[in-house]
Amino acid sequence: MDLRSGAIDAAQALMNAQSRRRSEGCYRMKIVLCGLVLLSALAGNAQTASSREAQQARILALEIAWNQAVMQKDSKAVAPLLDEQLIYIDDDGAVMNKARYLANVQEPEPRLLHIANESAQVRFFAASAVVIGIWREQGVRNGKAYVFRDRFVDTWIERNSSWICVASQSTLITH
Amino acid sequence: MRPMVHALMLTCALVASIAAEDNISSAAQSKVLALENAWNIAEEKSDVRALDLIFDNSMIYIDEDGALLSKAQFLAQTKNTHTQMQSLVTQTIAVRMFGGEMAVVVGSYRARGMEHNKAYLREGKFMDTWVLREGAWICVVAQSTPLRR
Repeated sequence: MDLRSGAIDAAQALMNAQSRRRSEGCYRMKIVLCGLVLLSALAGNAQTASSREAQQARILALEIAWNQAVMQKDSKAVAPLLDEQLIYIDDDGAVMNKARYLANVQEPEPRLLHIANESAQVRFFAASAVVIGIWREQGVRNGKAYVFRDRFVDTWIERNSSWICVASQSTLITH
Repeated sequence: MRPMVHALMLTCALVASIAAEDNISSAAQSKVLALENAWNIAEEKSDVRALDLIFDNSMIYIDEDGALLSKAQFLAQTKNTHTQMQSLVTQTIAVRMFGGEMAVVVGSYRARGMEHNKAYLREGKFMDTWVLREGAWICVVAQSTPLRR
């Protein structure tokens, strides 16, 4: 009886040890798996962040290209940056579609001397980006020199791997 | 015959999918426009609590004078006792949906009220950007541009 119970105890001790080892093994495996998941998530986040940085740089480059095209009154260069359904609100409150805005770009008056974005901040929302910035324009209208600053918001969406502007609004800074 | 049946089934599925998408888009538009209306009512009543629910915490608001306001600044301005809005009437010019998760509302506004005991009338255009977050539409960017004739 004692022998049998001793054998049973020994067998149970062995099973417990094996079970402990198995559970330790499982535990280690779980830690390794969690580590892998965490690493993969971190790598994914890093990739997303770098991808976002790249997209931000692309959008800001498009904003500069837009300014340069406006400066040269080159509506053909502006056109590909804008969606066909563009909604544009000018700083005098005029609402324009793409055709009207492009016609406005080509107007001989005013004579533009300098255009620049003083600041531009990009914020991403799902597959879209919003640029909030300050536009500074210097020129001559009817023989008179002028300078003004507008606060603008441009909304861009990614379509077929290209960013296009779908909405834009400007407000004259008077405060 | 079978290819024709398949083509017909495919067409039906496509039409059904487009119709479903249109319904979703239309429902989202209605929700966003209802929120625009709620915003007007809340602003008329200086109801900061209601406005707080409509705006994202990181909302950016560009005021008529070109000032950049945070949500907290906009809400504080709404509570300002020196300015009392009596009526705010808006008219929607366009609502555009982008991928079911973003909407841009463009419209005109006409606001009447009292500021430092003087009556005012302000007219302009606005553009509000809404995003769908956790099943609810919230405003992330809003801008006003006064009419300059």
